[in-house]
Amino acid sequence: MNTNLHTNTTDPTATEASYGDLWRLTAGQRLRYLGAILAIAIVNACMFSAPIIGGHAIDVINKQDFSFGDPFLLWASQLFAAEPSFTVYLWAAALTSLLITGFGGIFLYLRGRLAAIASESISKRLREALYRHLHNVRSKFYDTADTGDLVQRCSSDVETLRVFLSSDVIEIGRALMLIVCVVPVLVSIHAPLAGWSMILMPFLFIGAYVFFNKVKEAFLQTDESEGAMTATLQENLTGIRVVRAFARQAHETSKFAARNADFRNKNQYLMKLMGYYWSISDFFAMGQLGVVLIAGGHYVLQGSLTIGDLFIFMTCESIVIWPVRHLGRVLTDSGKAIISLGRVNYILHEDEESTDWVPDSGKAMGRINASGLSFSYDNNGGSEPVLRDISVDIAAGETLAIVGPPGSGKTSFIRALLRLYPYVSGSLKLDGHEVSDLNRFWLRRQIGVVLQDPFLYSRSIEANLAVGRPNSPHNDIVRSCEEAAILDSIMEFPQGFKAMVGERGVTLSGGQRQRLALARALLKDPPVLVLDDSLSAVDTGTEQIILNAMRRRKGRQTTLIIAHRLSSVMHADRIMVLDEGRVTQLGTHDELSTTPGMYQRLCKIQGALDEQIRADLAVTGGSES
Amino acid sequence: MSEVYDDENYEDGFDENKLANRINLALWKKLFSYARNYPRELKWLAFCACTTALMEVAYPLLTKGVVDEVDTYVKGGAEPDLWFWGFAYLVCTLIMAGAVGAFIWFAGKIRTSVAHDIRQDGFVNLQRLSFSFYDYRPVGWLMARMTSDCERLSNILAWGFLDLIWGFTMMIGIAIAMFIMNWKLAFVVFAIMPALGWISAAFQKRILKSARIVRATNSRITGNFNEAIMGVLTSKAFVREDANQNEFGVLAGKMYGASITNLTQAAIYLPLVITLASLATGLALAVGGIDMIAGVISVSTLIAFMAYTRHFFDPIEQLGHWFAEMQMAQASAERIISLVEADPAIKDNDAVLAAITAQQAHSSSAAYAPDGGAARIDRIELNNVSFYYNPEKPVLDHVNLAVERGETIAIVGPTGGGKSSLVNVICRFYEPTSGQVLIDGLDYRARSLHWLQSNIGMVLQNAHVFSGPIIENIRYGRLDASDDEVIDAAKTAGAHDFIMDFPDGYQAETGESGGRLSAGQKQLVSFARAILADPQILVMDEATSSVDTETEQRIQQGMQRILAGRIAFIIAHRLSTIRNATRIIVIEKGRITEAGTHQELMATRGHYFDLYRQQSLQESSRDLSQPLPAS
Repeated sequence: MNTNLHTNTTDPTATEASYGDLWRLTAGQRLRYLGAILAIAIVNACMFSAPIIGGHAIDVINKQDFSFGDPFLLWASQLFAAEPSFTVYLWAAALTSLLITGFGGIFLYLRGRLAAIASESISKRLREALYRHLHNVRSKFYDTADTGDLVQRCSSDVETLRVFLSSDVIEIGRALMLIVCVVPVLVSIHAPLAGWSMILMPFLFIGAYVFFNKVKEAFLQTDESEGAMTATLQENLTGIRVVRAFARQAHETSKFAARNADFRNKNQYLMKLMGYYWSISDFFAMGQLGVVLIAGGHYVLQGSLTIGDLFIFMTCESIVIWPVRHLGRVLTDSGKAIISLGRVNYILHEDEESTDWVPDSGKAMGRINASGLSFSYDNNGGSEPVLRDISVDIAAGETLAIVGPPGSGKTSFIRALLRLYPYVSGSLKLDGHEVSDLNRFWLRRQIGVVLQDPFLYSRSIEANLAVGRPNSPHNDIVRSCEEAAILDSIMEFPQGFKAMVGERGVTLSGGQRQRLALARALLKDPPVLVLDDSLSAVDTGTEQIILNAMRRRKGRQTTLIIAHRLSSVMHADRIMVLDEGRVTQLGTHDELSTTPGMYQRLCKIQGALDEQIRADLAVTGGSES
Repeated sequence: MSEVYDDENYEDGFDENKLANRINLALWKKLFSYARNYPRELKWLAFCACTTALMEVAYPLLTKGVVDEVDTYVKGGAEPDLWFWGFAYLVCTLIMAGAVGAFIWFAGKIRTSVAHDIRQDGFVNLQRLSFSFYDYRPVGWLMARMTSDCERLSNILAWGFLDLIWGFTMMIGIAIAMFIMNWKLAFVVFAIMPALGWISAAFQKRILKSARIVRATNSRITGNFNEAIMGVLTSKAFVREDANQNEFGVLAGKMYGASITNLTQAAIYLPLVITLASLATGLALAVGGIDMIAGVISVSTLIAFMAYTRHFFDPIEQLGHWFAEMQMAQASAERIISLVEADPAIKDNDAVLAAITAQQAHSSSAAYAPDGGAARIDRIELNNVSFYYNPEKPVLDHVNLAVERGETIAIVGPTGGGKSSLVNVICRFYEPTSGQVLIDGLDYRARSLHWLQSNIGMVLQNAHVFSGPIIENIRYGRLDASDDEVIDAAKTAGAHDFIMDFPDGYQAETGESGGRLSAGQKQLVSFARAILADPQILVMDEATSSVDTETEQRIQQGMQRILAGRIAFIIAHRLSTIRNATRIIVIEKGRITEAGTHQELMATRGHYFDLYRQQSLQESSRDLSQPLPAS
C-alpha cells in the first residue's frame, strides 16, 4: 500500500482539478441540492422563530403587558379564553414554538434526505465509472501503476469526495444561510446590538481558514507517517516466514517501533495544533456571546432594548456561532476534496482501448501469421524493442512451442496477439485479419490463455471455471478438469467445486492454481490456446498426464506453448526459439536438436540427464521393456 | 489464553455488525489498563473535563446575574456594574478556552499513546506467535486488527473517558443549579430526560449499526477494486468486462442503499432530538412563566432555565453515542485482546529461559549458544516423530531420521505427502505432536528457539521478496554483510547476471512484494539471501522450481560448495538436483517409505525409481505412444 502518493500535493499522477470540476460532478443532482438549500432556509426561519416567540412571551409577563406579545399568539389565546390571560398566552407560546420546531424538523429531515440521495448518487456513479474504466484502459497503464495506490484512489479518495458532497457542502450552505437569515432579524430588533453581535465573527471565520490551511501540512505528514507504518506492518506480515526463517524478529520489531512511534508523534503534534485552535476559537465564540450580553445589558439599561429581546439575541447568537466555528474546517475539507477529485480524474482521463472493426461473429479458424512484427512497451521509441522483426506462419490446429531465455520476448508475443499492447510495425494476423483492426472483445474470445502466475478470482472453484465459459454442462467441466489433472484435487476439498478460492477458502498450491487456470482455458475451448509457462509449478508426473491430454486434443485448436522444460515442448509440431526479441531458430524437434544452437544446448542438458538415467537403469537391471 | 482457531473470529465482512448485548466490563477494564499507563495525563484530562463542564454550567448563571441586575434597575433599583460582569465573563471564557485546549491535547495524547502501545504489543506478539497461528488468519485480517481496530478502541478509551467525566459533571452541575433555583421547574424539565435518553440510545445504536454495514460494504467494494486491478489481464483475456461490471453494479447498488439508510436514520434522529429539546424549553417557558407571574421566580431565573434546557441534552446524546459505540466495538476489543494475549504454541520453556539469563551473566563465547549449550550443531535426530492437526489424518507418522553435519538429505514424494511438514518440524516452526527432535542428543525443546532458528537458512518455493532495493533483500540474510559479500552470494546463487541487467543493478527496486521480479528471479534472490546467511542448517523447498534450465544448470555447479559442511534438506521435483544428495528419503502419507542413496533406491525399484524414470524423455515418449485410458 502506498499512501505516500496520496498525500503528495505535487503528485504528478493527479490531474489538477478545480472547483469547476467539483461543480461538474454534481450534474444531475443539482435540483436536489437546490431543494436541500431551500429546506435549510425554512429550517433556519423556524429555528429563529422559536426564541423570538419565547423572548416576546418573557416580555409580556415581565412587563405584565400584552402589547409586547405576538399578534398571532394574542389572537390564538383568545380562542381559549374570553379574557386575555397570561397563563393561556404562555401555553400558546410554548405550544407554538414546539410546533414550529417540529415543522422545521420536517424540513431538517428533507434536507438530510435530499443531500443523502444527491451525494450517494454521485459517488455511486463515480465508483461505477472508475470500475468500468479500469477494465477498459490500455494495459500499458498498469505497467507503471501501483495496485495499492489505484485502490486507494478508488476507495478513500472517493470516500473523501462522498463526505464532502454529503455533509460539507450542506455545512457550508447552512452556515452561510444562518448568517444571511439572522442578520435581518437582529437588525430589525436592534441595529446597534446587531452590529456588536457580529463584531468577532470575522476573527473566528478568517482565523479558522488561515489556521486550517496551515495545519494541512501536519495532516499530510500524519497521513504519510500512517502509510509508512501500515506498509511496514504489511511487509512484515506477508513475509513472516522469511522473518522467522532468518530469526529477524528483533530487527523487524525495532523497524516497526520506529514507524509506530513516528506515527504517534506526528499525530500528537497534530493534536497539539488542534488544541491551540479550538482553544482560541472557543475564546472568540464565547467572547462573542459575552459581548452581546454586556452590550445588550447596556442597551437594556438605556431603555432601548427589552430583556426579552436580549434573550432573543443571546439565543440566536448561540445558534449561529457553532456552525461558523466549523466553517474553517469545512473549507479545508473542500481543498482535500479537490485533491481527491484530481487523483480520481487521473484514472478517468486515461485513454481507453479502442474498439474497432467487428468481423462476422462466429469462431476463428486459428491461423496466425506474423511478418516483420516489432513490438516495444514504450511507443515513443525510448526503450529497446522487445520483439524485432518476427515472422512466423502458424497453421490452424498446429502446436507451436516457444522457448528462449527470460526477457527474450516470449510473453510479449502473446501480449501482442491478445492486443493487450499495440505493436509498432509489421503485421500480425489472425485468420488473415490484422489483429490491430479486430474488435478486441471478439479477438480475445478466440484465445484461451493460461499465465505463469495465473490470477484466480476469490470465489468458488466452479465460478472460476465459469469464467472460461458460463453455463457449461457439468460433463464439460469435469472433462476439462480431468484434462488439466486438477479433478482429483478438487474432489479432495470438502466442498468440492463449491470450495472458495483464496484467503477465505482453500489455499491452492502454485501447481494447483496453474492447473485450475488451465482447466478454465480448456473449458473455454477456444480456437487458439496459449500456455505461457503455465506448467512450471506442476510436478513431472502430473505434467506428463496433462501433456498426454493435450496430445489427445491435438488439431482441435492452434496451441502456443511457452515452456522451459524440454519435456513440455519436444512434442510440439514446431519449435520457435526466441533470443533478444528475434526468432533464432524455427523447426521441428528433430531438426533443431541436430542444429547447433540454444535448443541443442537445452537438449544436451536434458540428454546428459537421460544418459545418466539410462546408465542408472542399466546398472540396476535395465528397463523392463 | 492459548491460540484458538475459531472460525467465528474470521472476518466475513459482516461479523463486525454483531452487536454485543451487554458490555463486558472486564474486557474494557483490561483495555483501560493501557490508558492507566498515563496517570498524569488521565488526571489532567479528568480535571479539564470537569472544568469545561463547570464553565458551561456557569455561563447561564452569569447571564442570569446580568439580567437580574438590569431588570432590577429597570424596575427602579440600583444601577449595575456591567464592567464587573464583563470581567467575570472574560475570566470564565479564558478558563474555558484553556480547559478546552488542554483536554484536546491530553485526550489526543492518551489516544495516540494507547493506540501506539496496543499496536506495539500486538506486533511484538505477532513476532512470537507460531506459524499455526498464521495458518488460520489471513494477513488482511491481522492488518485490520492492528490498524482500524486499534484506532477505534483508543478513540473510545480517550474521548469516551473525556465525555463520560464531562457529561456527568455537566448533568450534575446543571441539575444542582436548577434544583437550587426552583425544584418544581427542575422536575418538569427532568421528566423529559428518560424519553430523550431512550430515543438517543435507540437511534445511535441503529445509526452505528447501519454505519457498520456501510463500512463492511465499502470494504467489499475496495476488495472488488483490488481484484479488478490485480486480475485485469485475466479479465481482459476472458472478456469478462461486462460480467464484472454487472456484478460490481449490484454491489454499488447495495452500497447506495446502505448509505441512504444510514443517512436517513441520522436525518430522522436530529429533528427528533431538537423537537424534544424544544418541548423542554416550552415547558420551562410555560411552567416557569406561570411561577413568574405568581412572583415565585424572577425573569432571570426563567431565562437561565430556558438556557439550561438547551444544553442539558448534549451530554445525554454524547453518552448515548459512546454507549452504543462500546457495544459495537466489543468484537474489536475481544479480537485485539486475544491478539495481544495469545500465547505462542512454541516458545522457550522456563528452564531454557533461566539458562539464557544465566548465560547472559557470563562473558559470551562463540563456542556457546545464548542458552549455554554448544553453538555447533553436529547431528539432528528425529525419534518417532508424529505430527498432526487431526489424529485421524497424521501429517507425519512415526518418522525416524538421523542426519550428521555435512550430509545433504533430499526429500521426495507426492504433493501433500508431508515433505514440507517434515522440514517445518525440524526447524521447529511446528513441534512434534509426539516423539522428539534431538540436536546432538538433546531434545530441541530444551534449547533456545531463537538460537536454533537463527542457525537456519530457508529458501522457499514461493520466495518472498520485500519491497526495496535488491541488495537489501539479500542482505536480510546477514545484516552486517558488506556489499562485496552480498555480490559474492548473488554470484553463487546465479542471481548476479540478471541483477546487473537492471539499469540500477543491485540498487534496483523490487516493487510491491517483489512484483517487478519474475518468479524465478525471486527464487534466486531468496537463494542468495540464504547463502549469505551461512547457516548451519540449510533448507531448500522447491527453491529453484521456476528457474530456467540453463541457470539451474549453472547453480548446480556451485551447489556442492554451498552444501559442504552443513546439514542440508532439499525438497525438489527435478531429480538432477537430488541425485547427488548423500541420502534420499521418500515420504508418502507422512511415512518414510524409502531411504538410501540414489543407487540403492534405484535398485529398490520403488517410488523413487518410478519418479526418476518419468524424468527420462525416452520413457515419457513411450508413455505417449501407449494406448490412452478412456476418459
